[in-house]
Amino acid sequence: MNKTAKSTCDSDRQSKKVKTSHGSTQGTQGQKADVKGCAAGKDACSPGPERSSESSHTMQKRSQKEAKSTRSDSPSSQQHLMKTSPAEDEKGFYFFQKCKHWNEPHSLGDADLYRDEDEIQKELQDKQQTESVAAGEAQSSVSAAEDLQTYSQREWKGNTTKSLLIRKGYETIASEFKLRRVRGDNYCALRATLFQVLSQSKQLPAWLRDSDIREWPKETQSDQDFIKEWKFPFETSKSKVRHLEQCLERLKQRWEESVQCRSLEQRERLCQEVFRVHDEEYELLEALKFLMLRTAIHLHSDMEKGSDVPEFCWLLFARDSSRCPKTFFTNHLRHVGFSGGLEQVEMCLLGYSLQQTMQVVRLYKCETEEFIIYYPNDHKKDWPTLCLLTEDDRHYNVLVSQNSSKFDEYGRPKWNLPSDGQPSKTTRL
Amino acid sequence: MSFIPGHPVTAVVQRIEIHKLRDGDNLILGFSIGGGIDQDPGQNPFSEDKTDKGIYVTRVSKGGPAEVAGLRMGDKIMQVNGWDMTMVTHDQARKKLTKKNEDVVRLLVTRKSLETVVRQSMMQH
Repeated sequence: MNKTAKSTCDSDRQSKKVKTSHGSTQGTQGQKADVKGCAAGKDACSPGPERSSESSHTMQKRSQKEAKSTRSDSPSSQQHLMKTSPAEDEKGFYFFQKCKHWNEPHSLGDADLYRDEDEIQKELQDKQQTESVAAGEAQSSVSAAEDLQTYSQREWKGNTTKSLLIRKGYETIASEFKLRRVRGDNYCALRATLFQVLSQSKQLPAWLRDSDIREWPKETQSDQDFIKEWKFPFETSKSKVRHLEQCLERLKQRWEESVQCRSLEQRERLCQEVFRVHDEEYELLEALKFLMLRTAIHLHSDMEKGSDVPEFCWLLFARDSSRCPKTFFTNHLRHVGFSGGLEQVEMCLLGYSLQQTMQVVRLYKCETEEFIIYYPNDHKKDWPTLCLLTEDDRHYNVLVSQNSSKFDEYGRPKWNLPSDGQPSKTTRL
Repeated sequence: MSFIPGHPVTAVVQRIEIHKLRDGDNLILGFSIGGGIDQDPGQNPFSEDKTDKGIYVTRVSKGGPAEVAGLRMGDKIMQVNGWDMTMVTHDQARKKLTKKNEDVVRLLVTRKSLETVVRQSMMQH
C-alpha cells in the first residue's frame, strides 16, 4: 500500500478526529445510557422518542429486561447489566464533553408543544410495548428491515438545525436502502459489520480461505504475550488462547455457511440464528477483535521495517494511548464492546483485517464531502462493500440495499407493476 | 450508491441512424418502444424519474437494424427525424417511426452513463 498525495487531506481530517476524540474511546456508549436516563427527567428534553439512540436504548433496556426474566443466571444476562452500568476506567469530565444531546432541545416541534404529557407518555409506552412484543417473539440484536423515511420522521421530530440535517440525510438515501437497527451497545460497530458479512458474502476472503486461522491465537501469543489479558464478555473455563481459537473456528464456520446459502430466506435464517444475543454471537464478535489485533501487529511491524503500509496505520499508532500494538490492545481494543466502541481509524483497521470495504453513510455530515466515507478507502474496487449507517460516528446501524436493480438474474428488464392493473403498451417496430 | 448529493448525474447523448430492413411489405426497425404521455410512467423500469412519460426503448432485436445502428435497451428517444418525442402519445411515437416512405430514421437518444448501466447490471449478482 502506498501513501498517496491525495489521501493527505483525509489523514488531516482523520487525525484531527482522532486527537480530539481518543479519550472518548472509553465508554461513550455507556455514557449515553446515563445521559438518556437523566434527560428523561428534564422538562425541556421531553420523554418523547426524538432520536435514534432512544430506540436503540429502548432495545437495550428491553433486552435487559428480557434477559432478567428469561435467563436470570446465565452469564450473558449479567453482561447486559454490565453494558449499561457506568463505564469502567471512565474519566468524569468526558461524560459532559460527549453528551451530544445534553443541550439540544429536541421535541420543541409544534406537535409536542401542544401535546399533553400523558399523550406523550402513552405514545412512548405503546412504542415500547410493540417493541417488546416483537422482542418477546424473537430476541434479536438486529431488527427487521424498515423504511428510512418513516424511521427518520418518527425519531427526529422538531426543527432544530440538527434534526433537519439528519432528516435530510435520511431522505437522501431513503430510496436506496432500508434500515435494520442494531442493538445499542459498544459492540454495535462490530455487530453491524458482522451482520453485513453474514448476510451478504458471496465468497470467503482470501485470508480465510488460504490459512487455518485457528492457529493464529497461538502464533500471536508466542510473539506478544498479551492474549492473557483478553477480556471476554462471557465466562470461560478454557485458556484464553483456546477460547479465541474456538471463536475463530466459529467465525470460519458461519462465514462458510453464509457463502453457501442459496437464497435470501436461508441467509435470513442464518442471521436469525446468530444474532440472538447469545454466547455464539459474542464469540464471533471477539473473533473480529482478534483479527483486528493480529492485523495491527503485522502492520506495526511493517511500519517499523519501513515497508509501505496503508494511510490509517500512521494514525492508528500516532495516538499517545496506542503507540504500539501492546498499548493499542491494552487501552483500546481490549475495551471494545465493554466501555468503548470503535473510532474511525479503528473502523479502517476492521475493514482492512476482514478485507471488506465499509461504506458508511454519516448523517451528521450530510451536505459535506464526508457524508459517505469508506473504511478503508483504497480497496473500493476489489473488496466487497458493506453498507452501514451512523448518525454520529458512535452508533452504527445496518443498511440493506433496496432492490433497485432494473434487471432480474437473467438480465431481463423487470417491469414495475402497473398501478391500475393495465400493463403499459409496448410496440414492436 | 448510484448518486452522491451535489454531483450531477451523467448522461450520454447519441445520434442513431437506423436503416430499416425491408421484409416483404414491412419495414423492420428491430426494436420495441414503451412509454408515452398516455401511458403509465410508473411501470417503466428504465427511467430514473418515475413521472417521466418519455418514449423508451424496451427491447432491441439481436442483429437487427437498431442494434447495428447502436441503439440500446433503456435509451430514451428524444427526437425522430427532428420531431420531438418527449411529449407524444405512444401511438404518435409509433407513427413517427414507421413512415412507409422513410427508409432511414435518425434518432436522438439519451442514455444513462455507461458506467451506471454496467454497475447496475452487476449489482443484481
